[in-house]
Amino acid sequence: MLEFNLVSAPPLAGYDQRFDGVNLTAPTDLAIVSLALPLGGEAAAEKSVKAAYGAALPGIGKSALSKDGSARLVRLSPDAAFVIFTHTTPDAEPFVAKKIKGAAYTTDQTDVWTGLEIAGPRARTALERICPIDLHPASFATGDAARTTMEHLGTLIIRTGDDAFLLLSGSSSAKSFLHAIETSIHNTA
Amino acid sequence: MTQVNRLTGGQVDRSQTLNFTFNGKAMQGHPGDTLASALLANGQRLVGRSFKYHRPRGILTSGSEEPNALVQLRSGAHQEPNTRATVTELFDGLTATSQNHRGSLEHDLMAVTDLMAPFLSAGFYYKTFMWPKAFWEKLYEPAIRKSAGLGRLSMQDDPDSYDKGFLHCDLLVIGAGPAGLSAALAAGRSGARVILADEDFAPGGRLNAETLEVDGMSGADWAAAAIAELSAMDNVRLMTRTTVYGAYDHGIYGALERRTDHLATSDGKPRQVLWRIYSKRAVLAAGSTERPIAFGNNDRPGIMLAGAVRTYVNRYGVTPGQQVAVFTNNDDGWRTAADLAANGVAVTNIIDTRDAPAVCDVPGARHIRNAAVMDTVGRKGLKSVTLTSGQVIPADCLAVSGGWNPNVHLTCHQRGRPTWREDIHAFVPGGDLPPGMAVAGAANGSLTLAAALAEGRNVANAQIKDLGFTASRKAAPKAEDEPSDGMAIWHIPESKNRAWVDQQNDVTVKDIKQSYREGFRSVEHLKRYTTLGMATDQGKTANIPALAIMAECTGKSLQDTGTTIFRPPYTPIPMGALAGRARGKDFRPFRLTPSHDWASKNGATFVEVGNWLRAQWFARPGEQGWRDSVDREVEMTRGSVGICDVTTLGKIDIQGKDAADFLNFVYANAFGKLPVGKVRYGLMLREDGICYDDGTTARMSENHFVMTTTTANAVLVFRRMEFVRQCLCPDMDVHLISTTDGWAQFAVAGPNARNLLRKVVDEAHDISNEGFPFMACGEVTVCGGTPARLFRISFSGELAYEVAVPARYGNSMIEALMKAGEEFDAVPYGTEALGVMRIEKGHAAGNELNGQTTALNLGLGGMVSSKKDCIGKTLAARPEMNRDDAIRLVGFRPVDRSVKLIAGSHFINKGDDATMANDQGWMTSVAYSPSLGHSIGLGFIKEGHNRKGEIVRAVSPIHDTEMEVEIVSAHFIDPEGERLRA
Repeated sequence: MLEFNLVSAPPLAGYDQRFDGVNLTAPTDLAIVSLALPLGGEAAAEKSVKAAYGAALPGIGKSALSKDGSARLVRLSPDAAFVIFTHTTPDAEPFVAKKIKGAAYTTDQTDVWTGLEIAGPRARTALERICPIDLHPASFATGDAARTTMEHLGTLIIRTGDDAFLLLSGSSSAKSFLHAIETSIHNTA
Repeated sequence: MTQVNRLTGGQVDRSQTLNFTFNGKAMQGHPGDTLASALLANGQRLVGRSFKYHRPRGILTSGSEEPNALVQLRSGAHQEPNTRATVTELFDGLTATSQNHRGSLEHDLMAVTDLMAPFLSAGFYYKTFMWPKAFWEKLYEPAIRKSAGLGRLSMQDDPDSYDKGFLHCDLLVIGAGPAGLSAALAAGRSGARVILADEDFAPGGRLNAETLEVDGMSGADWAAAAIAELSAMDNVRLMTRTTVYGAYDHGIYGALERRTDHLATSDGKPRQVLWRIYSKRAVLAAGSTERPIAFGNNDRPGIMLAGAVRTYVNRYGVTPGQQVAVFTNNDDGWRTAADLAANGVAVTNIIDTRDAPAVCDVPGARHIRNAAVMDTVGRKGLKSVTLTSGQVIPADCLAVSGGWNPNVHLTCHQRGRPTWREDIHAFVPGGDLPPGMAVAGAANGSLTLAAALAEGRNVANAQIKDLGFTASRKAAPKAEDEPSDGMAIWHIPESKNRAWVDQQNDVTVKDIKQSYREGFRSVEHLKRYTTLGMATDQGKTANIPALAIMAECTGKSLQDTGTTIFRPPYTPIPMGALAGRARGKDFRPFRLTPSHDWASKNGATFVEVGNWLRAQWFARPGEQGWRDSVDREVEMTRGSVGICDVTTLGKIDIQGKDAADFLNFVYANAFGKLPVGKVRYGLMLREDGICYDDGTTARMSENHFVMTTTTANAVLVFRRMEFVRQCLCPDMDVHLISTTDGWAQFAVAGPNARNLLRKVVDEAHDISNEGFPFMACGEVTVCGGTPARLFRISFSGELAYEVAVPARYGNSMIEALMKAGEEFDAVPYGTEALGVMRIEKGHAAGNELNGQTTALNLGLGGMVSSKKDCIGKTLAARPEMNRDDAIRLVGFRPVDRSVKLIAGSHFINKGDDATMANDQGWMTSVAYSPSLGHSIGLGFIKEGHNRKGEIVRAVSPIHDTEMEVEIVSAHFIDPEGERLRA
């Protein structure tokens, strides 16, 4: 049986490039699990999440780091949120389900998405060419999250630092997404 | 010294010389010049030929409104036709050529058309090329096309790149003239986020072209100081070379930024960027455009707008002539005379239509009151002008001012109609502006300097106060209002020769009068009949005089005559900029399946399916064409085992206590009692009862389902279910999330499918026929512990499974499956073999679920459960959709087995004529069946289920074919379904 050992190969694994004023990196072992709050069980689910992560589920369009900083909770809609964290093995969903004691419906989203972190003083200038969202520091505070489209591709953008953004887009179009971001960096260099 | 007309002063950098060529002739200019100012400096008055009559033309204006001075820039693939010399920034090495002539510019063979002018008046084409009809396409149109179009394309791919982008601001200020700068300063000082956009490379607008003072310094110096202050503000973004070309909904503006047009090379960067600007408020400070007066032969090179002459003198240090006359109906023309004289240029006469004293003292100039120019002399350049009195005045330049029109265009982009203001003889913005927009300065009819500066500040302050900012208390910059009286004169009736109104389209006063006589009296009809106001300048200098002449004819007021609707773009936008990055392989993003790399290395030919690239077939050496590969893939799959990447099918994770009830409502057939560990085929209807999508849904646990949709409808089905969840079933506990990209899913089909999977699925999982029967599903592990999902479903009709692993393992999984399948001669198969096998099995796909067919048509009428409600159930019960003679999906085979069936053929009963009235149905899908050795088809035919064995004709008028076909069961292979249960 071991002759068929499977190798993990996410589409942008290992990508890490430095450009003038911008760093572009595909985070390693990025795991994403969606939480759906049961109808009528919202309060219990929120309580369970808070107990598990030491941080309350933030409001819609916001994200919050867990108390130990290892996981980011992103609120997408009244009943939906993502937990984003680093996890090596393909069992992120049961891992989270156990952590929150099954208080919310969980779905593994790890392989649905591809992640790119764009950071540096020129990150916003590059994103201007592709991102319809207003990323001005006063309009899009650290921790803010928004769903949008970039070059026809659905994208979740989260501001993770002063000049740092985590971009999540569909894994099947990862190469087109990377090309679009790289082109934006090149065009504004 | 080639620059015979270069003066001192102006805002060009004389310390540097730029070399350029015009029609191959070497010329020189300086940084800060436009091509037009440099041509004039070099004494080049003749720059092009007119569109229709090939009349010699020069430079009329100094801005984006230029109708005449259209040139071709650059060479080779970079060649760009129809660019305006007046806004082309000069750079070293620029090559420009004139256009629209055969032979040289000076001796254009096509100038003969000017002699034929009496036959070429308004409506000529409409009247002449009506008959005979057959001549249009082959003779008339090619001939007209050949002589039309001004410049020429390179006919090569555009080597430049373009980009798009998104900007956001509190206040967008459009135009950086006095009003715009004043507005931007006020808003910037308040802390609001401001974007100031100007089409010029040097912001300042008319301040750069005039000698008027602001705050005790020259207008140009004040503009430079204002720009310096704005540039130092973090909250202000200054965008030069940027035209705001359109006002769209919700405060969104389109803008074109020309980033490298002023450079010899783009250096690999986008030449232009098309911006979408999201503004909370906007101030339109687009200034005004001077209008000419129409008189006989008013189009000769050397006849220019007076304000433009002033621009060339004051801003560029260039005089357009050495012996200048001024023809004006207002005070403004006098300043041209004064500024020329101040620079030592001879101004011989000031011809004023008014019977009024001199506005100012112009040394050496004779003031002729109550007079007008009615004709001119000088074929390739002005030599003299003739007054209505008959007096002839020698001149090489005539500066004409007919007053100024506010640039109201963007106020009309959402159907706003301008209002006529009699005191300034011009249209000003009406009351119904695009939401969030306010207008300031000359664009608003405040045509004098102090008024524009004050209005810019005040309007901006009102706009930002509206947004909650505290306006800066700083007063408006100080200036004086220059004299600005004028009278309304549009054309000189005494002129006997042709008086040009629209120089770009060669429309004369006479053409407009003819349009009136022939009944084309609405301004929109006038435009279409005469072509007035079309092409690159969109009639910026022509529209208002033309409307005034039409108003004269009809006896209506200007207000009642109105303007044509101004639409975006304000100035031309290159197609490349509109396309942006969307060209070639970057036209749309690609989605790749998890096994794409493996497929690429194993002979796959890919086909675009939506954004997906799917393997269509896998060619092997020696195969002569796709059919060889596809036939082999089908035969080997049916003979042993084949593997197909089916990741592209939509996957939706459905969870919740009410998930089963939700599915029961969404699907036409029952799902409420689907046992855990089972999969069911499901059919969705639209609200109108027509079939929407089909697929399978697996129950993974009591409250957890996994739905599969067709590839094409993956997004649509998800969106629709989200609508049902939120709007129709808000009380249900049900949650949806797409996992399409998350799982690499492979169909493993054929008699050896289980044997192959047994080597991959970990031993702990029972996949025997008893332990894991047809339509079973479950979570398993593969290859030593990797989590996976296994579904026993079959699209091919064979013993088949679909196995899914997290997408990151997809490429590795296909390798494992192929390796495990070596002993069974496993083959990968593509979408073609998939299609052949589903036709052989009689499964409906997109060709059959075409948005017009019902469950009854598909032979699935029994699936619409009578025991429960579902979307589409009520309207599916309509009598028309349940007729006995409704079309039914059946199979077809050619009576002559060697014949190839043609999809799209219509069925006609034997003996009937092939007419619409006798149409019995149509062939939806055809394939060559390697299993049967002949062509087979699926199709809809009236009462097909009762007609098996009948012979009908399949007729395709498009292919001009007809053949006899026999109606058979749609299930060509294994009709009892024994294989898939094996």
